[in-house]
Amino acid sequence: MSDLKITNLHKHYGAFHAVKGIDLDVPSGEFTVLVGPSGCGKSTLLRTIAGLEETSSGSIEIGGKDVTWARPRDRDIAMVFQNYALYPYLNVKDNIAFGLRARKFAEAEVEKRVARAAEMLGIGHLLTRFPRELSGGQRQRVAIGRAIVRDAILYLFDEPLSNLDAQLRDDMRVEIKRLHKELKRTMIYVTHDQIEAMTLADRIVLLRDGLIEQQGTPLDLFERPKTRFVAGFLGSPKMNFVPATLTAAGVKLADGTALELPGRSGLKAGQAVMLGLRPQHIAMAGTHLAKGHVRVPVVIELVQPTGSRVQATMPLGGTSIIAELGAHDVSRPGEKAEIDIDMTRAVLIDTTSDKII
Amino acid sequence: MSALPLHRRHGVRLSFRYLIAALLVVIFCFPVYWLFIISFKTPDEIFAFPPVWYPESIQFSNYKVLFKDGDAATVGNSLILASVSTFFAMIFGTIAAYSLVRFKTGGENLAVWIISQRMMPPVAIVFPIFLLYVWLGWVDSYFGLIILYTAFSLPYVIWMMRGYIEDIPLELEESALVDGCTRWEVLWKVVLPMARSGLFATAVFTFIFAWNDFLFALVLTRTEVTTYTVQVTHYFGGQSNFWAKIAAMSVLGTIPVFFTVAVMQRYLVRGISMGAVKG
Amino acid sequence: MRAYHEQTMPATAVHPDRNFKYWLLAPAIFLLLLIGLFPLIYSLVVSFMRIDMMDTDTSFAWFYNYKNLFKDGRLWWSLAHTLLITAIALPLELLLGLAMAYLFLEKMPGRQIFISLLVLPTIISPIVAGATWRLLFDNKYGPINQILSWFAGERVNALWTINPTLVYPAIIFCEIWQWTPFMFLILLAALSNVDKSQTEAAEIDGARFLRTFRYIVLPAIWPVMAIAILIRGLDLFRIFDIIWALTQGGPGTKTETISIYAYTQGFKQFETSYTAAIAFLVVFILTVICTWAIRRMGLAK
Repeated sequence: MSDLKITNLHKHYGAFHAVKGIDLDVPSGEFTVLVGPSGCGKSTLLRTIAGLEETSSGSIEIGGKDVTWARPRDRDIAMVFQNYALYPYLNVKDNIAFGLRARKFAEAEVEKRVARAAEMLGIGHLLTRFPRELSGGQRQRVAIGRAIVRDAILYLFDEPLSNLDAQLRDDMRVEIKRLHKELKRTMIYVTHDQIEAMTLADRIVLLRDGLIEQQGTPLDLFERPKTRFVAGFLGSPKMNFVPATLTAAGVKLADGTALELPGRSGLKAGQAVMLGLRPQHIAMAGTHLAKGHVRVPVVIELVQPTGSRVQATMPLGGTSIIAELGAHDVSRPGEKAEIDIDMTRAVLIDTTSDKII
Repeated sequence: MSALPLHRRHGVRLSFRYLIAALLVVIFCFPVYWLFIISFKTPDEIFAFPPVWYPESIQFSNYKVLFKDGDAATVGNSLILASVSTFFAMIFGTIAAYSLVRFKTGGENLAVWIISQRMMPPVAIVFPIFLLYVWLGWVDSYFGLIILYTAFSLPYVIWMMRGYIEDIPLELEESALVDGCTRWEVLWKVVLPMARSGLFATAVFTFIFAWNDFLFALVLTRTEVTTYTVQVTHYFGGQSNFWAKIAAMSVLGTIPVFFTVAVMQRYLVRGISMGAVKG
Repeated sequence: MRAYHEQTMPATAVHPDRNFKYWLLAPAIFLLLLIGLFPLIYSLVVSFMRIDMMDTDTSFAWFYNYKNLFKDGRLWWSLAHTLLITAIALPLELLLGLAMAYLFLEKMPGRQIFISLLVLPTIISPIVAGATWRLLFDNKYGPINQILSWFAGERVNALWTINPTLVYPAIIFCEIWQWTPFMFLILLAALSNVDKSQTEAAEIDGARFLRTFRYIVLPAIWPVMAIAILIRGLDLFRIFDIIWALTQGGPGTKTETISIYAYTQGFKQFETSYTAAIAFLVVFILTVICTWAIRRMGLAK
């Protein structure tokens, strides 16, 4: 059964067409992440699901009930906002209890639920404090607490971690993931951060210009992107794109370097393409060349250590590419080296349609 | 440049500032002092030449007369009119301001039309209102004056509350909507508490406007709901004023505002600076 | 209201809270139309008739009253009196208020007490302010003449509210006394918000006080100051209470302002239609001044 079913949803703001016909089905208990660059319509989509924006056309069903024209309060949803949305004049306990009281829960039940949510989030000792006395991370926990005390069908998160610093963001990500495992509720999470999307999602819905570009499991999108946009959006560092021309056996780069592509058939020789190579699929030359790999001599231009790994920039076929290498593989720029590229994982993109071949 | 060391110069400057400040306080407070002091004087002291700068003893007979004759009840009238009209102006004005801010109802034009109502000189509309009230039978009634004061304060309330409501983060309201509040509950449980200090500051000023009104009260009251401002002028005479009554009545009429302002002071200072900064 | 928010979900494609914003505005708009717009339209109609104490003729005389406005010397004098008071009192209030704001700008012990005491005149009702000064100005028993006598060394018997050369100073004194604190408070708030680092930088550069004020402070406080000027200007233009308490427009018609004159015409002479015409003249003048002022001061935003 699906908890959320969106059919041909459109949203206009005056002349601006923010959501251009989206169909989406979210099964019960799934953690779905809406991700995309800013302006792609992901927040608008979430807010339309919540009923905070009016639908221009199309329909929304939550828990099998058509709620396209329902008020937010009648949609059986809970939501966590980007700036926490805590009421400064209420203490933590009253903040968490706000939604229950608005729905006229008995006070004993309110107490019980608030206590349980607070314990789950480790904020039991903060209940009498006011929001201004809390740190950013604590505020976010309270905001999440306010959502999870409710028995909603759908839990919505609108970029909840974007105001936290990097360390806290990692902690909270783990926390949210744990909560989902414990609560087994249907959650929809909006972010522009592809790492958050990859780590949290059961399923990623990647949006672009008000349309769904591709949806699937994180691994699905990472390994089998359907368009250049998807390939470039997911993964860090970003996928390298090298202009090339198809040959019978593989591709030829702009500087004449020929790379063999194993296991591909029906390639149209002479067609202009983009060769997509993930930095993770490029390694220093080993003692023997693995099957499906090609070996290329390069000159290292730039070295950026990240601790466990090092990101090395080097020219290939007339453009700069980044490779993620072992921490001790290269030490300084200007070094001559040989790299092995895993061509079985390479993607080819049709330059006219930007689709993956 | 003076040859004095810096800290000495600083000290001299500070004493100078205190001197001026004290002088200003004397100038600005003396009339108030005089008013108070007359209200406690005996007729002999009031009509003494040269004037008596401070009375021998504080005596309340001037006030007793006002209470005995029932004149003091006009302060009660003013109190009822000003507080009830402030109450309604705050409610209607705040919800209207909320509509203007949150839903951009009527666009910029409506907002400008509303504020332009504030510029209307009372004397331009007091006459037609008088005719309207005669026709409706509202002259000399609480109801009529309350409606009038409420309407007259509305542009100010709407204008001020607009500024305060604009500062409320939209997320707070949206969160309440999702959490199960109706639109009215959002107003009640989120917007009003968030705009609390603004509400207080605006309410005090609205109260003072209604409290101070003289022209409307002069025209639209007869005997039943005479306000204290009108009552004060009843004691004016061509050559001989009822000095003691003028003073005592004025003091009675000043005390409620004085207390309101004293109690609300911290909201007012913030209100003025915010209102001033936001325009 | 109850039925409104408890209504069940409509099956039709209409947002359930669509009319909410109009409900919110309805009471305010209703009252503003009743008390603001309706009387205005009503008095416009009346101003085209010839209704007075004797005659309740409701046939239209069109611009009869408006033509008479131009022939009415007393009207134009009252307008001149109003402008005179405004032109003198407003700049004085502004300058005094500004000077006081500067005096209290820097922190000093007891500052808050001084400010609270200085604001006292503003919270007094204008009619009471007028009455107070009426007592102060009394030629025999008032303290003002007494204080002047000390300085003059002989008995001063100035008839402040009767002598034609002294009534204006008396009125303006009272007006300034009551409203300078208002200017002071607003300007103090505005000055406190001026970025200190900018004025300090200018002082370090050796800029004179006036230069700093002209090029740094004034632009920063101008929006606030302009609004204060506008508010006070409008209030001064319709000045009524203080004059009513002090002179009632006298001696003769010497201190009659436009508000006093309109009141006299309407409620003492019962010139109904003519008063309506005067009211329209006032509205017209104010509209012109406000539009000009708002444009000129760059407040249109």
